[in-house]
Amino acid sequence: MSRTRNPKVFAFTMALPLLYLAGIAPDAPAGWTLLQEAHAVVGAPLTPVSAAGVARRTTRRAVVATSTTQAAAADTAAVQQQQAATAQQQAATAQQQAATAQQQAAVAARPPGAPAAGAVVTALPAGCKPETSNGVEYQNCGGVYYRAAFQGNNLVYVVQ
Amino acid sequence: MESTPRGRQTAALSRCCVIAALATLSVAAQAQSAGVAPEAKQMLKASTDFLAGQQRFTADTRNTLEIVLKSGQKIEFNSTGHQFVQRPNKLRSERSGDLVEQVFVYDGKSLTLYQPQDKVYAQVAAPGTLEEMLDFAREKHDVVAPFGDLLFKNAYDILMDGVTEGIVVGKAMIEGVLCDHLAFRAPDLDWQIWIQEGAQPLPRRIVITTLDLPNAPQFAVTMTRWNLAPAFDAQTFTFTPQAGMTQIELLPR
Repeated sequence: MSRTRNPKVFAFTMALPLLYLAGIAPDAPAGWTLLQEAHAVVGAPLTPVSAAGVARRTTRRAVVATSTTQAAAADTAAVQQQQAATAQQQAATAQQQAATAQQQAAVAARPPGAPAAGAVVTALPAGCKPETSNGVEYQNCGGVYYRAAFQGNNLVYVVQ
Repeated sequence: MESTPRGRQTAALSRCCVIAALATLSVAAQAQSAGVAPEAKQMLKASTDFLAGQQRFTADTRNTLEIVLKSGQKIEFNSTGHQFVQRPNKLRSERSGDLVEQVFVYDGKSLTLYQPQDKVYAQVAAPGTLEEMLDFAREKHDVVAPFGDLLFKNAYDILMDGVTEGIVVGKAMIEGVLCDHLAFRAPDLDWQIWIQEGAQPLPRRIVITTLDLPNAPQFAVTMTRWNLAPAFDAQTFTFTPQAGMTQIELLPR
């Protein structure tokens, strides 16, 4: 059979956890919890799970660190990468944002240090409460709204 | 003690043989680095063709993924999976591991990704064949599917693309199954595959070593409990959200 896809794109992929833990904030404590929280690291290439993956590997889409502390610890270059990639996500989620504009308007001021709209995190901060608007469930985390989504194989939360 | 003429002859012959043997080894080494051994190609092709010819099968998988931290420290993640395949357009993959419980269901029309523990699922319309769906999932949604391109009919061509060297290492046992062990090299990666010996040349283990990342992390998968005549029920390839599950978006790539 003839196929037109990039011949480099092949995969030995067998049920793979697409973790990408290539870095941890240097001042962060070590430990499993941290690994869980930090498993989405900005700009980190994946460990390829396919032979072709090596050839086709691209820098992982930027993911904002899971807490403002970690975000602050991220280096400048990484933050710039985040911002560039986040811009694309923001465009993609423009529709969502419109839907939640009302919600956002209700939140007079974003809490200081809140992640930017469109940012993607891999874990919610503590103390979130689910709220449903127009049939869509959001998590209200201290006035910042998150919406769950799959990004590739990973469950993430998009800041609204 | 003075050696006899015959002794000197023997010694000379020995030296000659040693040199000849070294020369042979050297030639062998050059041959290995010069290309892909025909037997290695043949064994791999036999395996991929055999798998391509299976209309339905199941297998269990055990994955090991190495991640390299900034410090250089390697961390290993493990997961196990159950794979269900029915050509040309059905797939179910369940995996559970260090960080996630996830199920992936393709029914020929749609693709569903769900995490039972988190009570969330995402569903998108998908192309009508397994191969098209795998391409679609990766290219449009960055979802890399279980079994990946081993499921493609032309898996051999896909796997061998860019390969510069290949050898048959020898016989090996994987989980009690006698296998042929092959090793290949391509730019920036080495990979190995263990193929069941005999009439059913199934892949039993694959290891990929990434050479252009610090500390050369590896991904390995071991395949066990192959069943080439499984009985599927109506639920195998269908997804019905359980009560309390929330549908979420599968973000575009």
